[in-house]
Amino acid sequence: MKYILAKSVEEALIGLYQAGGTGAIMGGGTDLTIDLESGKHKADTLVDVTGVPELKEIRLEGDTLVIGAAATLTEITHNPLVKKHCPSLTLGTGCVGSLQIRNSATLAGNVMSAQPAADGAMALAPYDPEFVICSLGGERRCKMGEMYAGFARSAIDPSKEMVKEIRIPILKENEAGSYIRLELRKSLSLPMLNVAAVARVVDGKVEWARITMGPVGVGPVHAVDAEAYLVGKELTAEVMTEAGKLAMNNAKPRSNPLRGSKEYREATLPILVRRALESIADQLGIKY
Amino acid sequence: MLLCTTINGEYMEVEVNPDLRLVDFLRDQLGLTGTKIGCRRGECGACTVIFNGKAVTSCLIPVMRAHGAVIETIEGLMGENEKLHPLQEEFINRGAIQCGFCTPGMIMSAKALLDENPDPSVDEVREALGGNICRCTGYKKIQEAVLGAAERIRKGE
Ligand code: FES
Ligand code: FES
Repeated sequence: MKYILAKSVEEALIGLYQAGGTGAIMGGGTDLTIDLESGKHKADTLVDVTGVPELKEIRLEGDTLVIGAAATLTEITHNPLVKKHCPSLTLGTGCVGSLQIRNSATLAGNVMSAQPAADGAMALAPYDPEFVICSLGGERRCKMGEMYAGFARSAIDPSKEMVKEIRIPILKENEAGSYIRLELRKSLSLPMLNVAAVARVVDGKVEWARITMGPVGVGPVHAVDAEAYLVGKELTAEVMTEAGKLAMNNAKPRSNPLRGSKEYREATLPILVRRALESIADQLGIKY
Repeated sequence: MLLCTTINGEYMEVEVNPDLRLVDFLRDQLGLTGTKIGCRRGECGACTVIFNGKAVTSCLIPVMRAHGAVIETIEGLMGENEKLHPLQEEFINRGAIQCGFCTPGMIMSAKALLDENPDPSVDEVREALGGNICRCTGYKKIQEAVLGAAERIRKGE
């Protein structure tokens, strides 16, 4: 195998191009290493981008928080800009795997692995981020939903292109975000269920709300019925409970031998959605 | 490929097979078998080493990523005249070791924590060790050993 320690995005893209479809971009590598050994993923050339300075950056561009694809989950979790502008994101990035995993793994990789309840990806989803994807042919931008091709399947082909950065609209006044995880244990375990939300509430009325949940489908799934229901409503106890119930319209949880039966997940998901909204209400000083 | 790296304070230039993972290079090529392999999937922490100051599971690190890096393994902990590190001593003194298989990984996770934060709270210790699994001790004594070592390190030992 050929191993390229890229020093720039351009060098990485050239390496990938020269591999002619048999290469793969390697970020933290905490999933890819396992998939390469098991044969689930094949590559003759690995292009390691963890040493590319511009991909490590976390910066603010106007109202957008930009997170480089090679920033580790630990770096994101402790970054003051992320804590200030997208605090609920750090609740997700801070509980992926274990500290050792977070010291290597990246948020871009958490999305690329496409696990439906990935903590980092879930906490990110309701911020409505954009992904900058690049290849030698140029750059394009993808929305969160366009990143997923199926269960544990990314729509981005790592042998042809790479994620360069994640662009996240920061929270403004009257906006708040939350992340809730139903867990068996804190470390080294995907959650039984997780829910993330971001909402804008002006003069007591919800202007918009985005709620995502997993594992109930492909990638983070929007609770679109609940989102539509919330518009124009006040965040009262009844409204938040009802939104939790409506979230079930878009959720198809399955039974998992380790992380809860379908029935258990169906019974608990509405409560998690309610709690995610309650957290937003609390942060915005709304009494319910 | 040529790998230039620093392991336990020693700079080296060695030819390696880039297919290897860091843990295999440490154990098989350098004979540093203190770093253990429990799962090869990042789920047990037995292979934890300190990589540029951060605890990582060396079973998930491609060996070439060590190029230019500074790595510490359990073998690098002993001081002059074979003096054990306070973490090693406290693990022994407080019965935080039974079979010992998880111990090198536990100690490296704990060392990475104490290097950054010599006065950790119980929760911080638990977070730092959350990725290290022990099937013997029940964790309580490990937690006590780390806090005990932290106190000694703060006193300048
Ligand atoms: S062997 Fe690396 S985490 Fe288990
Ligand atoms: S002492 Fe035996 S696994 Fe921890």
